[in-house]
Amino acid sequence: MKTKKISIWLVVAAAALMLAAPGSAMAGEVYKTALSLAITGPTSDAGNPYSKGVEDYFRYVNDMNLLGDDTVDCTIRDDKYETAITKRNFEEFLDMGIVFYLNYSTGSTLALKRDFEEVEMPTLPASYHAGNIEGSDYIFLPIASYSAQNIGLAEYVVDHHEGGTPKVAMYVHPSAFGREPVKDVEKAIEAGLDIEIVETVEHGQDLDVTGMLQRWRSKGVQYVISQTVQSPVATMLKGANILGLVAQSFGEKGKITFLGAHYTGGNDLVALAGDAAENFYWTTSFITTSESSAGADAQLDLAERYGRDEKTANSHNYAAGILVAEITTEVIKRAKAKGKEITRENLYKELLDMNGMNAFYSQTAVGPVTYSKDDQQGVDTLQLYVVQDGEFRAEGKPFISEYPEKIK
Amino acid sequence: MMSANRWMATGNYFTTYRQEQRIFATHTDRLIFALFLVVLFSWPYFIELSTKHMLVVDNILIAVIAVYGLNLVTGFAGQISVGHAAFMGVGAYTVAAVAGVIGDQHVLITHAWPLMILLSGFTGAAMGLIVGLPALRLRHLYLLMATLSFQLIFQWVIGSMELFNQGQFMYVGRVHWFSGEVGRSQHYMFWYYALLVTVVVSGLGVRNILRTRYGRSLVAVRDNDRAADAMGMHPGLTKVFAFGLAGFFAGIAGALQAYLNRGAGFETFTLHESIQYLAMTIVGGLGQVTGCLFGPAAIRILDLQVESLAQWAGGILPSSLDLATGLRPLSFGLVIVLFLIFEPRGIANWWRIIRSYVKLWPFRY
Repeated sequence: MKTKKISIWLVVAAAALMLAAPGSAMAGEVYKTALSLAITGPTSDAGNPYSKGVEDYFRYVNDMNLLGDDTVDCTIRDDKYETAITKRNFEEFLDMGIVFYLNYSTGSTLALKRDFEEVEMPTLPASYHAGNIEGSDYIFLPIASYSAQNIGLAEYVVDHHEGGTPKVAMYVHPSAFGREPVKDVEKAIEAGLDIEIVETVEHGQDLDVTGMLQRWRSKGVQYVISQTVQSPVATMLKGANILGLVAQSFGEKGKITFLGAHYTGGNDLVALAGDAAENFYWTTSFITTSESSAGADAQLDLAERYGRDEKTANSHNYAAGILVAEITTEVIKRAKAKGKEITRENLYKELLDMNGMNAFYSQTAVGPVTYSKDDQQGVDTLQLYVVQDGEFRAEGKPFISEYPEKIK
Repeated sequence: MMSANRWMATGNYFTTYRQEQRIFATHTDRLIFALFLVVLFSWPYFIELSTKHMLVVDNILIAVIAVYGLNLVTGFAGQISVGHAAFMGVGAYTVAAVAGVIGDQHVLITHAWPLMILLSGFTGAAMGLIVGLPALRLRHLYLLMATLSFQLIFQWVIGSMELFNQGQFMYVGRVHWFSGEVGRSQHYMFWYYALLVTVVVSGLGVRNILRTRYGRSLVAVRDNDRAADAMGMHPGLTKVFAFGLAGFFAGIAGALQAYLNRGAGFETFTLHESIQYLAMTIVGGLGQVTGCLFGPAAIRILDLQVESLAQWAGGILPSSLDLATGLRPLSFGLVIVLFLIFEPRGIANWWRIIRSYVKLWPFRY
């Protein structure tokens, strides 16, 4: 009797296994990717929405079956902006068998550069430092480098300035992130860009920089190009506002026009500087939600779909997170379409093929993403924005700075 | 008169200072230590650890070497230093700067790495002696300010000078061993053994220093520098000596860090790190060699736990408040304060209590 009972259970179990087997075969592949970034600690104001952009887009890919039955499993780890933790996270990701990696800071990208080369890991950082891709085959900047952005701003100044050589001050972060673009702007000047750099200031953590602004006024500075993060720029703009130094229109005589690259702007700047942010010129390769566009709608829809707050939904860092997740998904999609196995090597090849007719058009960027053996910067196109009534408004058409090619 | 049985703790009466200064009081102690070493050297053959956790273990061992130095200056000599990470930075940047000048694949970097590590130790010691000079005249908070200044000057120098790549990461090549280049797959295991040897040799070194008149001077100056002066010691030079020793161990630890991370970046040697080393020293046990082992392990493991907690909190707390960022400093502050209040002698005291109990077992006293 007992033997009969056991036999029945065995048959039931075997039937259950047989039924389950085809289902599991249809479940599809899981492609492992990972992101290490500062969700807490320094720069977490940018890292937090960035991580949500990545997370939401991959959730969307999986929920909408954009890769068919296959899914992307992106592990996101907080590194608190500490290179040692990023390194530990990366080693863990390697053990997990990731096929594509998303990194964050300049410091950790430079520190792990050799690791990326050794394990041949295609990597997209959130740092647009030109030095990241020097001597590296596997690091790809999602958008134009800081150098290209700063040179682009300088070119804009030259094109729109009236009367003689424009006098420019550079206000930069006291690190490689801030310094390196200055060197490239200087190279562009040597190559013929007609601006005069009156002074370069590496900011500290001062809460008042009116002394510096007075000095610049006495030196006849007409434009300030900032290559740093929002808070020091907000402090500077507030000081300039108190002194009545902010130009009300581009290049207004006797006043100073303030400009800045990617991480100086965005809604956080307006929140920090308030009215003083008015007429601040900012360049980036991303769309903004304050300008109506299909990309802006898509960004807001994604944020709403996954219950993000308004601040996150409108952040350009959220858009930046979406972009790297989009690129990752796109290379997986292309490799799949060619019947290739999803490996680091094949995804790397797909990145290298992403140019010409194969360029990728993202919803959140102002131009196409292109990569090749000689081009490791994704979106070369920049858009200039200006703050008007507390919102960033597009100023002119998207453009590509010319001098980065000349100084290569 | 010595016990007839050197294996037993009971009946072990010392009749000379030399006997009292022995590192191992009984043969049992020596045997346990030997067995402990066997376990430390052999466990990787039996237990497979992920690369991430191997890296954590390596970092704990580096911190142990650094804390040997900090404990000498703070725990044994009674001086305060909040610039220990900068001393480590001196060691790391000695290797990195030499690599920057002669090339990171130069034979001196890749083959003569033990010499480079030793050189970094001496550079750290030299810097320690210089920074220790204010200790001739300064005490307490004023000395703290002097060491804090060194920390800040270090960060400024590294961030400004071209020699140090203005704080950008400087690469150090992979080292060679008898079997050839130590590749990626053996990297963390190789450094585990290199670090373990350094920890053991340094630990015995520290223990031996403390047996010498110089070591005893450190403790005498800490307890009462005027009395020490009256006994013929030079309190000022003793303090400078302590800073030199601390710099030496920090320099060694820094160089090992540079080799482990395959380069140096100044983020690893900030004031925050200095405070972490101070926390390790306090939590482990000030003035206890065994504390140098417990403190780093406890803080690094706590760090891992807090990291997970902060990440979890970061995901659910409103990002605009950024409350999760505060969890880490809060937890460190709390741990230090709790230890200072409830266990000022650190984890080493727990170890002492356990040992006393085991030593007397089955008797109560």
